[in-house]
Amino acid sequence: MRIFQKTNFNFIKYRKIAYGFSVIVLLAGVVSLVVKGLNYGIDFRGGSEVVIRFDKNIDVGQIRSVLDAAGVSGTLKQYGMDRSFLFSTVFQGDMGQLKSLLSNALNDRIKGNHHEIVRIDVVGPSIASDLKWSALKALFASLLAILLYVGFRFEIKFATAGVVAIFHDILTVLGLFSILGGLFAFMPLEMDQSIIAAFLTIAGYSITDTVVVYDRIRERIRGQKPSEYERIFNESMNQTLSRTIITSGTVLLSVFVLFIFAGPAIRGFAFAVFTGIMIGTYSSIFVAAPLVYDWLRITKSSVRLRGSKLS
Amino acid sequence: MSSMKNKRFNLLLIAVVTLVAAWSLWPTWRDYSLSKQLKSFGSAQDSLKYALNHREEIEDARKKSLKLGLDLKGGMHLVMEVDQVDLFEQKAWNKDAKFAAIMQVVRTKASKSDIRVIDLLVAEFRNENIRLSRYFYDIRNSDQEIVGKLEKESEDALNRAKEIIRNRIDQYGVAEPVITTQGSRKIIIELPGVSDENRVRNLLKGTAKLEFRVLREPEVMIRTLDRINSYLVENRVVAHAAPVADSSSSVLAPVPQTGGSPAQPGSNSSSAKPLYDVIGVFQNGTAYTAEHTKEFVVSLLHRSDIQALLPPDTELLLAAKPEVGKTGEKLYPIYLVRKSPELTGGVITEAKATFGSQGVQPEVLMSMNSEGTSKWARITGANIGKRIAIVLDGAVYSAPVVQSKIPNGNSVINGIESLEEAKDLEIVLKAGALPAPVRITEERSVGPSLGADYIRAGMQSLAWAFCAVSVFMLVYYKKAGIAADIALVLNILIVLSVLAGFNASLSLPGIAGIVLTIGMAVDANVLIYERIREELAEGKSVVSAVTQGYDRAFSSILDSHVTTLSAAFLLYTYGIGPIQGFAVTLMIGTSASLFTAIVVSREIFHLLLAKNLMSDKSFG
Repeated sequence: MRIFQKTNFNFIKYRKIAYGFSVIVLLAGVVSLVVKGLNYGIDFRGGSEVVIRFDKNIDVGQIRSVLDAAGVSGTLKQYGMDRSFLFSTVFQGDMGQLKSLLSNALNDRIKGNHHEIVRIDVVGPSIASDLKWSALKALFASLLAILLYVGFRFEIKFATAGVVAIFHDILTVLGLFSILGGLFAFMPLEMDQSIIAAFLTIAGYSITDTVVVYDRIRERIRGQKPSEYERIFNESMNQTLSRTIITSGTVLLSVFVLFIFAGPAIRGFAFAVFTGIMIGTYSSIFVAAPLVYDWLRITKSSVRLRGSKLS
Repeated sequence: MSSMKNKRFNLLLIAVVTLVAAWSLWPTWRDYSLSKQLKSFGSAQDSLKYALNHREEIEDARKKSLKLGLDLKGGMHLVMEVDQVDLFEQKAWNKDAKFAAIMQVVRTKASKSDIRVIDLLVAEFRNENIRLSRYFYDIRNSDQEIVGKLEKESEDALNRAKEIIRNRIDQYGVAEPVITTQGSRKIIIELPGVSDENRVRNLLKGTAKLEFRVLREPEVMIRTLDRINSYLVENRVVAHAAPVADSSSSVLAPVPQTGGSPAQPGSNSSSAKPLYDVIGVFQNGTAYTAEHTKEFVVSLLHRSDIQALLPPDTELLLAAKPEVGKTGEKLYPIYLVRKSPELTGGVITEAKATFGSQGVQPEVLMSMNSEGTSKWARITGANIGKRIAIVLDGAVYSAPVVQSKIPNGNSVINGIESLEEAKDLEIVLKAGALPAPVRITEERSVGPSLGADYIRAGMQSLAWAFCAVSVFMLVYYKKAGIAADIALVLNILIVLSVLAGFNASLSLPGIAGIVLTIGMAVDANVLIYERIREELAEGKSVVSAVTQGYDRAFSSILDSHVTTLSAAFLLYTYGIGPIQGFAVTLMIGTSASLFTAIVVSREIFHLLLAKNLMSDKSFG
């Protein structure tokens, strides 16, 4: 079976449209980040989260009013599909205290519907700021590592364009998190530790597709005149189109399964990886390779690539 | 290029890897089937009998099986922070007001920023233009030497704290606790299957600093309270111009103990005796505060301007446990004690929770080492008729009157509510005091029922992802898809067996990592197969297309794996807890897929080609 027969798209010709599209999406994301900001989870802002499960169906409003009456302030949301609710509050003190406060209030006022506190997380402010730092460190270290490795295996122009593409992918996903954050009840899109993991996964994977395209360009560009570059870039991208899309496709397939089956704790992560990989595939064709092409064209330099094969 | 010898080596390698993986996962399978067997019995008796007969086998399988993370099994995850400011304060000598002021600044800054406490300390001292040696170690030491010593000190303290906490947990009895340190002041504690969270928390957070301190005379305390009261009055005068009442007369009369009589603490009532609104004094000279005013009194006693009013080398402490007043209200006695302890818990060698002489009140009996015994004899001998307070973590448990000299080094803590609490005290006293106070900064707990849900969700995702991807490979690449799918199965086996073999645990993020690996592992095969298709399209024979395909796809496979691996490695390095679990499975899976895609699927092709089972149609 083949999804793509021999294709012959002129990617380089339409690159400016793609640039424009990327810039608009990025701008929208940045504007939303500035205006609306991100929806931080307790990992990053500190506070508490409690998951309460009831034996019988119960209305969110009823629990909310009970907690209000007991003087426990915070937000309550449906959590997952079954009779579970996520209660989050800024409380950062003793976990036992919070637990008994909630338990007593619910036991007293909701009779005949037993509840269980199945998960409780309390994160202090110092942890939150530690996490932020290590997240940023990890992200920049990985970008640097990728830059160096691709620079070593290909050339610095290729490496830089690849890292720009990763940056593009992560920023777009971040923008999406800001724009869509809080819009869907089943997917609050909060920034937490798992989203950082998602970003690093995206960074590592985005370059995969890019490298596949680069590899083919490297194979074919050797000894060619700069005037041939446009044709070679286009042909290389067309030749690798099928594998670029199928490799991403298998990953998208498994991440989609995660999104559906793995429950609310993983959903934000799955969403981030899913969109990140889609955007990463797009950017390897429409951002990374065209940027290298433009760079070569503007500097009028020819490519001096390192060894094309290891075997 | 693949000679016969090379081929044989590859086949051998595949066989060894498969066998090792199976061997490493065998106990997990045994554990699973044994526990299933145990559940299948009709009566509890039968299952107990079976368990006794197969005890060794069951225990062995359980010990070597793949561990589940806290989120899947249920349990508690705690992050505790050692209070370095307190630790450094302990290390300083000839402390004065200037020092206290500096440390106060450091403390506030440390609570708000991530900068290391030692750096904050150095910066603050530099700001004030004071050398560290004025307070720390030897006057001849340079700042740098002192920083080095203090760093060493805090490292030691962290490790000691970790050991003491491990002792406490071991004595409490938690199966397979994991206790590690992170950075310069954090201790991470993982306690699977803990049900009584409150008790564990109380067991862990106390410093267990035991002190024996001499009580000051009641008259001294009353004079002190008067002084504080008038100070409070003076300081409110500005706002309310309340007349300064002669408080001395009211002191000796007990404050009426009616329910709501004390004014709301902190309210700006222009009371003539602000302190006596929250503190009462009995005729016998005992001071106390009610439960609802306790917090306010504690914060009042912490104020430095109030502390300045106390007689030198003294401190006002509250009782650990309330006494029940006439109207049933809980009252906490207040004691004025010497600041420097006569003796500390370091001399305690043995502690035992038991019931007291009347047989109802739980208490903890303690015995001391020889040094402590002789000191204790001297102290009790010198203070006959006086009261000595037994203070644990800044709260007074009891303050008995010394009747006679105690020569045998025995002492007792009473004023304990339950035997359970006495048992916990026994544990912390035996384990020893923490070098500095610790604080719980992060706490996560998952109930076992949610863990079971997570396992179900994780397994479902694994199964569906595997089905979706392997069916896709079969449909898209036909016969070649079989090789990719076999490689995929081996890949998952390798990930699980490495986790089991290295005693790492599988968490929900870890399962997510495996699911992601399923999608990524076939990528190498896709790259190879697409290349082979290209070679075939150029009219090459199957044999040379396969060889060329593997050789030419290799460089992009390597590049993509290295980048994914480095991102996962950095995630592991900088990430914490659950994220590390994800990074670990991703790393193992990515490395394994290099092997499975390049070696395993290739050998399968060689076999098929040798038997003439491959044609140019085999790649779809």
